[in-house]
Amino acid sequence: MNDLCRTYRTHVGIVRRRRTDVQALGGISFEVGRGELFGLLGPNGAGKTTTIKILTTLLLPSSGSARVLGFDPAREAGEVRRRVGHVFGGDRGLYDRLSALDNLRYFADLYRVPVREKRARIESLLELVGLKGRERERVETYSRGMRQRLHIARGLLHDPEVLFLDEPTIGLDPVGAREVRETIGGLRDQGKTILLTTHYMYEADELCQRLAVIAGGVFVATGTPAELKARVLDRTVIEIEAFGVSEAVLERLRALPGVISVSTEQRDQAEVVLVQSSVGSELTHALLRELEGTTLGKVIAREPTLEDAYVELVQTA
Amino acid sequence: MIRAFVSGMRIHVVQFSRNPFDLSGVFLWPILYASIAYYLLDAKNDPRLLLAASLGAAVMLMWSLVVIGSSNALENQRWLGTLELLVAAPVPFAVVIAPICVASGFVGGYGIAATLAWGRLIYHVPLSIDHPVAFAVALPACILAIGMLGLVMASTFVLYRAAFSLGIALQYPVWIATGLLVPLSTLPAFVRWIGWFLGPYWGFRAIRESALGSAPWPDIGMCIAVSAAYFVVGTLCLRVFVRVARARGSLKLT
Repeated sequence: MNDLCRTYRTHVGIVRRRRTDVQALGGISFEVGRGELFGLLGPNGAGKTTTIKILTTLLLPSSGSARVLGFDPAREAGEVRRRVGHVFGGDRGLYDRLSALDNLRYFADLYRVPVREKRARIESLLELVGLKGRERERVETYSRGMRQRLHIARGLLHDPEVLFLDEPTIGLDPVGAREVRETIGGLRDQGKTILLTTHYMYEADELCQRLAVIAGGVFVATGTPAELKARVLDRTVIEIEAFGVSEAVLERLRALPGVISVSTEQRDQAEVVLVQSSVGSELTHALLRELEGTTLGKVIAREPTLEDAYVELVQTA
Repeated sequence: MIRAFVSGMRIHVVQFSRNPFDLSGVFLWPILYASIAYYLLDAKNDPRLLLAASLGAAVMLMWSLVVIGSSNALENQRWLGTLELLVAAPVPFAVVIAPICVASGFVGGYGIAATLAWGRLIYHVPLSIDHPVAFAVALPACILAIGMLGLVMASTFVLYRAAFSLGIALQYPVWIATGLLVPLSTLPAFVRWIGWFLGPYWGFRAIRESALGSAPWPDIGMCIAVSAAYFVVGTLCLRVFVRVARARGSLKLT
């Protein structure tokens, strides 16, 4: 991909129509090697799905160019479609009133799977995604995890050279997500070229050989998971469980000497304040002093993870 | 491509047959349309006019089933999130969409048969067909002509989200312009011109002429000719409109 941009145009008003342009991609460039599992990491609205849709021929870029296996998805859509598979996360994208088998048979015909291979291919894919024995049940009776695995089977029907996976574990329970990750890991080990988008750090860490962090339609960092983690290895992370921390208090924490960044996240009932500081700076007492009057829970000091690197990258973007 | 076409038809008929609401309509509508034919023209004493009215009502139903069926099916693709997957399939998009329209056409074919059967059963409409062979050819020719007009309409449904509303809105103008609702002789001359470009006009003529006398084959020929023209126009429109939808990013919108 070379300097790829995509702008969406919306109109508001009936009599006096006003046009609004929203930039989803602001010029991104990257390459993925054959057999590589490349991850696109970013928050909602960062441009991950837009990137995948351009590469799978569903969207035209506003400017810039892309090549998939040497073909331009904008101008040579047919060539690209024959060679790629894509799997979107979520409940949609299947015929609910039909069985999994009917869904797969239909898409096998649309994706030109040879008649002689169709049956065996469907059988082996059902086996691969763990739906063997349930294939004659209507999809509307499937759990979210089963639907997601059926999506993966559909995306693999024509044995694509490149597979695009757009948040394939979104909304799945931990067991379902782990099963899908195992399936993706298996495909990576088979040598498939995969572009995966996710906003789960552990997923990217576990699966991807290289990553790009995207925020606001631009890349803020690329590298292996280890390289991204290395960006924050000179730091310590202090996690403080707190209840009802105001923005003014967070600002005071940010102003403390040695503090690099402060963010908050919700975990179950508790709000957790995450403070990144330089290794060696002893900040716990100072932080707790600033939080006086706030109901506090556990306080943990730990080494930084890929998630910390990601939060740091996205916040400073 | 033939396999994708046949598979598409099968899938859409099965999908349609599993919706009890759609199915109940298909069973009830023929009775309503047979009643319209009987009471609207008040032709109880003229068996041939009664048959002509029944055939007209049957073709009206067929058009409704095709335009509503295909628009509903396409809107459903958006709601199910499958429209993007269909666009991204390597087979030409017309081969994906045409089965939806033709499958609706076959449901419409059933509509013709059911309307005539109910007319016969309830209102004793005579079913004396003058040219049975021509009638047997005219029926699929009518299905094809109406199905392919559905394909042209379907191309706009790809572009606009409110496909079903558009489908409903398209029912009545075509009924009027093809002389199915009121005789064309009672309408301004330009409406007749419009009718000549519409498949249901030639489909109705082919069926009526084969059932009631004179020369059905030219009208059957016209059905096939307009079907071919619709296929070409529909395919081109689909290609252009899919590109527009890709440029706008509107394929996933519901």
